Amino acid sequence: MLTRRLIACLDVQGERVVKGVKFVGLRDVGEPAEMAVRYEREGADEIVFLDIAATHEERATFLDVVRRTAERLFVPLTVGGGLRTVDDATRALRAGADKVSFNSAPVERPELLSECAERFGAQCVVASIDAARVDGAWRVFTRGGRNATALDAVEWARECVRRGAGEILLTSVDRDGARDGYDLELTRAVARAVPVPVIASGGAGDASHVVAALREGEADAALVAGILHDGVTTVARLKQAMKAAGVPVRPAPAPLEGSTTC
Amino acid sequence: MKVTLFDYGAGNLHSLAKALALAEPRADGRIESDPGAALDTRVVVLPGVGAFGPAAARLAPARERVREALAGGLPCVAICLGMQLLFDRSDEGAGEGLGLVPGRVRALEAERVPHMGWNVLEWAGVGAGGASGPPWPEHGSAPLALAYFAHSFVCAPGDERAVLAWTRHEDDRFPSLVRVANTIGAQFHPEKSSAPGLAFLREALAAVTSGEGAAR
Repeated sequence: MLTRRLIACLDVQGERVVKGVKFVGLRDVGEPAEMAVRYEREGADEIVFLDIAATHEERATFLDVVRRTAERLFVPLTVGGGLRTVDDATRALRAGADKVSFNSAPVERPELLSECAERFGAQCVVASIDAARVDGAWRVFTRGGRNATALDAVEWARECVRRGAGEILLTSVDRDGARDGYDLELTRAVARAVPVPVIASGGAGDASHVVAALREGEADAALVAGILHDGVTTVARLKQAMKAAGVPVRPAPAPLEGSTTC
Repeated sequence: MKVTLFDYGAGNLHSLAKALALAEPRADGRIESDPGAALDTRVVVLPGVGAFGPAAARLAPARERVREALAGGLPCVAICLGMQLLFDRSDEGAGEGLGLVPGRVRALEAERVPHMGWNVLEWAGVGAGGASGPPWPEHGSAPLALAYFAHSFVCAPGDERAVLAWTRHEDDRFPSLVRVANTIGAQFHPEKSSAPGLAFLREALAAVTSGEGAAR
């Protein structure tokens, strides 16, 4: 039976993982490769790197970070943030990413998804959708949740899959960072609308939220970020709680003595 | 032990090369795009990501040589689309596979596709994998239990004795591991299956080089 995935997400700015703190900018939380490998050892099923570079220099550094990480990481690595063309995707995959995630670019040019799916296979094309509730429906937002579009999130998810996306990374803009749980209604609406795996994102505050996203939200995977970086919980503890709640998971690996595999 | 990744233009070889180097430190790993050079090795590794059609087209110029070498007992580990290329043909696209394992590749029958994530390997019993090699995994070693999959098509072997392990997604059951001659094909990605995946790669290299006719 296919297990449900727990995915650790890292916002990468230049050489560092950073975390947004409301109104006071970004805080440094660690080194990307180190953190990714640590989360793998604790049992993370996949890692996501989001490039939040603010400058050209930082953007150039990002692919080096991906390269260095891919050399040491032996779970799938998804790379997103700022990818706008097939060439951008090619560079990310060559650097060692297993999947590429597109957010804003396909809203302007949906063909991008089909071009990438034809070239690399649907299994490595992730459509990242930021959605917020507006007037009783979920609207798609771009540019990091700042820019409202006219698109309905559930419809847009269907369209992304028709265009070739093999997975949907669904983030609730309303819940992101609030730590009071995923938007279960949104997650369920999208999970029921599309035939590809859906990753719930935005709002994880504790293990019960993760379990709810996979159960009531019907997601295939749950993405967590801040609660791991801040040490509120660990991948291993989340996995244990998922298992205790009856969610099929890959158990956190037993620590290997003198392991040099990573 | 010379281990060669055959770069026929369909796959991201980086992490696989790195995983092989870590899995088997005694391996002398190389990446070769020339079929002749790629087959002049102790073990050839056949990677593959993407769709069957384009991959079969890229493999076509080397198809006969690769087929002959593998049928003749050259040890081989084929991964994901590489495993599918061991079969005759695929419903996914035009072109010929290597025809080493009789059967075809068909679409996965499930509501949620691609089959993406960690799933269970159900190991077949004694006699699986044919008579071409010793039982594998070796007695005493814990067989790989969970591995990372990312695919929409699956293999449908003509002869189920080639199947070493099966996996289920929803109501569909398909081979996750096959063995013919001294070739092992894995539908999953050992290089993405964390430490157990690397251990699997080490055992697979040992298994393909220990079979009859493999000791050259």
